[in-house]
Amino acid sequence: MATNPIRVGSGSEKMKLKSLLLRYYPPGIMLEYEKSGELKTKSIDLLDLHPSTDVNALVEEIQRAEPLITASRSDQVKLLIRRLQEKLGQHSNHKFSLFKVLRAHILPLTNVALNKSGSCFITGSYDRTCKVWNTASGEELLTLDGHRNVVYAIAFNNPYGDKIATGSFDKTCKLWNAETGACYHTFRGHTAEIVCLSFNPQSTLVATGSMDTTSKLWDIQNGEEVFTLTGHSAEIISLSFNTLGDRIITGSFDHTAVVWDTETGRKVYTVIGHCAEISTAMFNWDCSMVLTGSMDKTCMLWDATNGKCIATFTGHDDEILDCCFDYTGKLIATASADGTARVFSAATRKCITKLEGHEGEISKISFNPQGNRLLTGSSDKTARIWDAQTGQCLQALEGHTDEIFSCTFNYKGNIIITGSKDNTCRIWH
Amino acid sequence: MGLLSILRKLKSAPDQEVRLLLLGLDNAGKTTLLKQLASEDISHITPTQGFNIKSVQSQGFKLNVWDIGGQRKIRPYWRNYFENTDILIYVIDSADRKRFEETGQELAELLEEEKLSCVPVLIFANKQDLLTAAPASEIAEGLNLHTIRDRVWQIQSCSALTGEGVQDGMNWVCKNVIAKKK
Repeated sequence: MATNPIRVGSGSEKMKLKSLLLRYYPPGIMLEYEKSGELKTKSIDLLDLHPSTDVNALVEEIQRAEPLITASRSDQVKLLIRRLQEKLGQHSNHKFSLFKVLRAHILPLTNVALNKSGSCFITGSYDRTCKVWNTASGEELLTLDGHRNVVYAIAFNNPYGDKIATGSFDKTCKLWNAETGACYHTFRGHTAEIVCLSFNPQSTLVATGSMDTTSKLWDIQNGEEVFTLTGHSAEIISLSFNTLGDRIITGSFDHTAVVWDTETGRKVYTVIGHCAEISTAMFNWDCSMVLTGSMDKTCMLWDATNGKCIATFTGHDDEILDCCFDYTGKLIATASADGTARVFSAATRKCITKLEGHEGEISKISFNPQGNRLLTGSSDKTARIWDAQTGQCLQALEGHTDEIFSCTFNYKGNIIITGSKDNTCRIWH
Repeated sequence: MGLLSILRKLKSAPDQEVRLLLLGLDNAGKTTLLKQLASEDISHITPTQGFNIKSVQSQGFKLNVWDIGGQRKIRPYWRNYFENTDILIYVIDSADRKRFEETGQELAELLEEEKLSCVPVLIFANKQDLLTAAPASEIAEGLNLHTIRDRVWQIQSCSALTGEGVQDGMNWVCKNVIAKKK
C-alpha cells in the first residue's frame, strides 16, 4: 500500500492536528494542522485503496509514516477509510440523459469548465464572451464581457471556485470574480493568442500559454507578471501544473514539452522524443510521471524526476488529439483523429481496451473521477460514455448539430457538460 | 476539425499553405462556394451561424479556406479571423440588387481594416446562373472598385451552384499567392 505523506521534519513536535477531512477523488485524507500558529493542510494519498484493503494494517502503516496521526486518532482514521472504501464500492453506473440545451452564445463555443462543487460552469466563445451558468437551473448568471477577440481558454480556480480566468485571441488574460463578474486584472504581455491557461493548486498564480511560444506566470493578487517561460521554438498549446504546484509543464508545436520550476521560472528539463507537434502534456496525481500526446500518433510516458522516457504507446493510425490520466494515475486514455480511443495501464504499459464507435475524429477525452468511465467528444457531433475496462460504448449523447469542441464531467461524475460549434451547450444528468 | 486543428490553421502558414478568408453578406453563397471548392454536396446548406473551414489542394498549394457567417449581428466578429490572411475573397449575390449598397459598404470597411491592409482581394460576382443577376462590370462600377489602389484586386463572375467561373477565380488566387509568397 503506497501512502504518500509529506515528510515531517524536526519541527514536528510543534505541529498540532486540528481536523481530518475526506477526499474522495482521488481517495485520500486531508490533514488540517497548526504549525507555529499557522493553519496548514496536507494530504495522505490512498491511491491504491481498494474495497478489500485491510484497514487495520493500512492505518498502522499510515501511523508509522505520519506522526500527526497519533494512536488516539486511529479509530477516526479507520472510519474515514471505511467511508472511502464504501465510496469506491459504489462504482458509478449513472445513465445520462439530456437535461437542458442552452442557446449559450451567438457564435461557436470553445471550452467549458465546471467549478468543483458543480454548482456552476463557464463557457468560452468566438463571440468574445465567457458566460457563467447555474448548472441546476441552466440559468445564465453572468456574461464576462471585455475581450476583443475569441475567448478560448477558461478556468475556475478550483477547489475554491471564487475566481475565473479567461485567455483570449486578443493576447490578454483576464481574472474575474466568479460571483459578481467584476474584472480584477487584465494580464498584458503576450504578443499572440493565448490558447491555454491554468491556476496553480494554491490559487496564487495563473499560467498562460501562447502562440507567441512563451508561457507566463501571473500573480493573481497584484496582477503582475512573475515569470516568462522562454525556450520553446513554436506555439505553446497545452500547460498544466503538477498537484503540488511546484512544477508546470508546457507542450508545444515544437515537438517537445518542458517542465519548469514555478519558484524560479527556470527550465528543469525538456522531454524530447516525439517527432511531431505535442497536443497535450500533463502530470499524474502523485507527480511521478508525465504524459504527452502527439500528432506523431503516439503518446509517451516520462519519469517526472528526470524527463527520461518510460514508455511509448502506439497503435493509433492518426494524430493523438488528447490524452489523460485517471485521477489515481493508474490508467491512461488516448483520443485520436483516427476516430478511436484507447486505454492503457500506466503500470504494465499494455493496451487494456480500444474504444470504437465514433464516426469522426475524437478531440477530447476524460475519465470520470471514479475512473470506471470515459467521456469522449467528437467531430461526429456526439459525446460518448464508455466502460473504461471493457471499452464498451455505454451511451451516445446525441443532439448537437455540429461538432463537439469540449466535454467534461463534474467532480461527482454525475453531470456532463458538452460545448459545440453549433453555438449551444448541453447539460446532461 | 476540433479546436486543436483550428489552432494549427491559425498560425502563420508554411510556404505551401495559404489562408483564404471568405466574407460577404448573408445569403451571398459563401458556404456553397466553399463546398463547391471542396467538391462536396451543396443541396442542403443552411445559414452559417459561425464558421466553416475546409482545406483544398490547388496548384501545389494547400488552401485553408475560412467561410465566416455573414448575418448582420455576427459581422462585427469578422475581425476575429483577419490575422494571417493571405487572400480575401468577397462574395456578392449579383441578383440581390437592393443590397448592393449594403455589401459595398461592408467591403469598403474591410478594405480599411489595418490587419487586411495590402491583402489581395478577389470579388466573386456570384449567382450568375440567375437571370436577374447583374454582370460583373456593373457591380465593379457600382462598388467603385477602380478606386482600390492599395492592393491588387479582381472581380470574377461565377455561379457557386454550377461551378462556372469558380476555377477562374481560384487561378487568380494561386497566381497572386505565388507573387505574395516570393
